[in-house]
Amino acid sequence: MDPDAAPPNALMQALYDSAIGTAIRESATLFPWIESAHVLMIAVVLGTIAIVDLRLIGVAAHRRGARQLIVDMLPFTWVAFVLAVVTGTLLFLSNATGYYESIPFRFKLLTIVIAGLNMGVFHLTAYRRIGEWDDRLPTPRAAKLAGFSSLTLWLVIVFLGRWIGYSYPLA
Amino acid sequence: MSVESFANGLYNTPVSTGIREVTWIIPAVQSVHIVAIAGVVGAAIVMDLRLAGVLATDETPRVVVKRHLPWLWSSLALLLATGFVLGLGEPYRVLMNPVFWAKMALVLTGFALTLLFRYPILHPDYRLEHARAARLVKPLAWASLAIWVAVVFCGRWIAYYQ
Repeated sequence: MDPDAAPPNALMQALYDSAIGTAIRESATLFPWIESAHVLMIAVVLGTIAIVDLRLIGVAAHRRGARQLIVDMLPFTWVAFVLAVVTGTLLFLSNATGYYESIPFRFKLLTIVIAGLNMGVFHLTAYRRIGEWDDRLPTPRAAKLAGFSSLTLWLVIVFLGRWIGYSYPLA
Repeated sequence: MSVESFANGLYNTPVSTGIREVTWIIPAVQSVHIVAIAGVVGAAIVMDLRLAGVLATDETPRVVVKRHLPWLWSSLALLLATGFVLGLGEPYRVLMNPVFWAKMALVLTGFALTLLFRYPILHPDYRLEHARAARLVKPLAWASLAIWVAVVFCGRWIAYYQ
């Protein structure tokens, strides 16, 4: 079989040729506008999740209880995350074949999945017992670990995102 | 000396050349720059939405500002430091770009709003109702948030607008 017709490549080519992908690629202003919104959404995700992660590590925030702080911040994190995925998908469509080949892009997606699993583990373990440590500082080790790994993963995601634009085949 | 000749002179200095020639410096510093604006945006969301009466309204403005203002100041410092390195690496692209100067005006306005309307909240006797220009607190909180959002957009557009 012709390698260009192999399933992932054929799919990427189809996404590249899609009406939305073509419109963004051929417009002089669509890409920068969508990219700006993407950066803003990442800033909101990182900025709000960092407040929660730092509280899990043991840095006091504007709420005494960790649970109330999570309730305050998480709606912002989630809405911004969904919008980051939407804008990110649009940017991807504009050059699907290129992004698909990009190593930092692949690692960025992988790191987002790991950050999601990390959050899932936190909710199934330390968060279940939050009643015991809600307003206590220093926080228990499991909470510290969850906060530290989440913050690290999100920082890595920002760096990988920036590296996509500077690496082959997109640079 | 014009801005243009200053930018060109700066471009040819060893520091500027070094920043451009070591390939990882600009993406790394840009990444830290994005982390810094995330710090600004995170702190601004909590403080401005508290003052706008949207978030954590059962906490006093003083508690909220006391916790988040230090993060805003340190994030702004990191933002300026990394921005300075980026400007040093590509002075012409930055200094000759109207979007850059719009961004600087916005940052200065955001900074002034924070200094005039956030910093006094730290005073123990501060009461939102008795604040000077109390009627302006809410609209200025929304304006402050809008300014930081516009700063992000200008930041990305510097790369595209020539």
